[in-house]
Amino acid sequence: MILFENVGFRYNRGAEVLQSVNLEIPAGSFQFITGASGAGKSSLLRLLYLDEKPTSGRISLFGRDVTTLTRDEIAWFRRRIGVVFQDFRLLDHLTAAENVALPLIVAGAREMAYRDNVTEMLQWVGLGDKMDVRPPELSGGEKQRVAIARAVVASPDIILADEPTGSVDPAMSERIMALFVEMNRLGKTILLASHDVPMIERYKLPITTLRGGTVDDGMGRAA
Amino acid sequence: MSALGRKSALIPFTTASGLMMVLLIAAMAFLACFSLAGALGTTRIAGTWTEGLAGAATVRIPGGEDDRARRISLVLDILRDADGIEDARPLSEKDVADLLTPWFGGAPELGELPAPSIVAVTLDGLNEPDPSVIQARLDGASTGAIYDDHGRWRNRAAKAAHAIANLSYWAVGLTVVAIMAAVFVVVSIAMSAHQGTIGALRMAGAEDRFVAGLYQKRFFWLGAIGGLIGSGLALAAFVGLDTLASVRSALPMLEAPYYWPFVWVGIVVVCGVIALLAARLAVMATLRRRA
Repeated sequence: MILFENVGFRYNRGAEVLQSVNLEIPAGSFQFITGASGAGKSSLLRLLYLDEKPTSGRISLFGRDVTTLTRDEIAWFRRRIGVVFQDFRLLDHLTAAENVALPLIVAGAREMAYRDNVTEMLQWVGLGDKMDVRPPELSGGEKQRVAIARAVVASPDIILADEPTGSVDPAMSERIMALFVEMNRLGKTILLASHDVPMIERYKLPITTLRGGTVDDGMGRAA
Repeated sequence: MSALGRKSALIPFTTASGLMMVLLIAAMAFLACFSLAGALGTTRIAGTWTEGLAGAATVRIPGGEDDRARRISLVLDILRDADGIEDARPLSEKDVADLLTPWFGGAPELGELPAPSIVAVTLDGLNEPDPSVIQARLDGASTGAIYDDHGRWRNRAAKAAHAIANLSYWAVGLTVVAIMAAVFVVVSIAMSAHQGTIGALRMAGAEDRFVAGLYQKRFFWLGAIGGLIGSGLALAAFVGLDTLASVRSALPMLEAPYYWPFVWVGIVVVCGVIALLAARLAVMATLRRRA
């Protein structure tokens, strides 16, 4: 369960990016977060993957108020959250397999234990033949799929994705969305930020719309 | 997936910065070895001097030849009766001439000099007499003799040696601080260059100690290799330079070569640990600053 209670957020001393956001996302659900550029989608995700702390209000993840977490607890929570960044954030000096294995290495797994897991994950995203290729040699869509494999390889409870189909063609977009649907069927909570309205409408899933930093109730009012 | 088994591969360290670090630590270790050798050697030499001067005293009997024999006899009687004195023996003219030879550049003619007679005194090391009591007895017998237990020289030699030894230990300490400062700065700069990688690791759930561990391991080995080279060169210099023969005899570790491997390994491990600690401090400070 993800719970936002009157959450406000601003970067340093700038204007409020999010204001009085209230959200309740049940465990195992699949939701879109949408809104125009600058509406606060990415900021909301940053709060969720604990890259920032809210300037007001309360965020609850797995039953804990995240504003009170220690640095070690934040690291532990992040292992339960898989993130697909809009800019992928792959490490260019590592191969695709090494990038995918990152969350497992960080969690202390031994190479023998995760080797098969990583191989299987890359095959699942259709990159079984690119395991030893480094990100600079991959296309945008391939990088996106490596990032997805990395986000899900440690079997996190929540998967967050920021514009995961923003830099790929429609066919690849469908393929990536199919991967998320499959993860959701496995019981993962999926939260996907996108402003690709046709794609969002096609999937007929719950939508949270952000407008000017607040949640729009669908009638132009803050919910 | 061979690199997966090596956590160190997660951070893209450059060979050039590693080489620079090794050279820097090697130079520091070389200097630290000389400082340490200076401290050990000075302490040893001071010990030899004070031990040599301890347990002995001299009595000088200056002045006229006419009653010198009588005064020497009086002095010997007083000394031999005193507690804490094992033996008292007048030096022959040849012994006195030998003592003065270094000052004259050749054997002096004692007949032409107002040289005092000297009585060499052997003290009971466990029960040395009070020099003021002995001097009072010599004065009471109007011998004109002066008792000297070398206390002044012993204290001066010991103080000078300890001062030099302390300075040498401070030099070793400063070298350690310099190594730590250098590693701290290099790690901080490296972390700026690795910001993206560290960010990805933290997003994947890496704790601060995991990130610190990657740097610690790397810098432990750089420190150890630097220490190995620097201390190896220093030991080679101690052994190889004839001009350091006197230093060599003053250093217990060099007099007993079976110590060397232990000393060497010790210095290597200490250099590694110093670099490791500095790297950890730098990583922890940088991560907390960025939080």
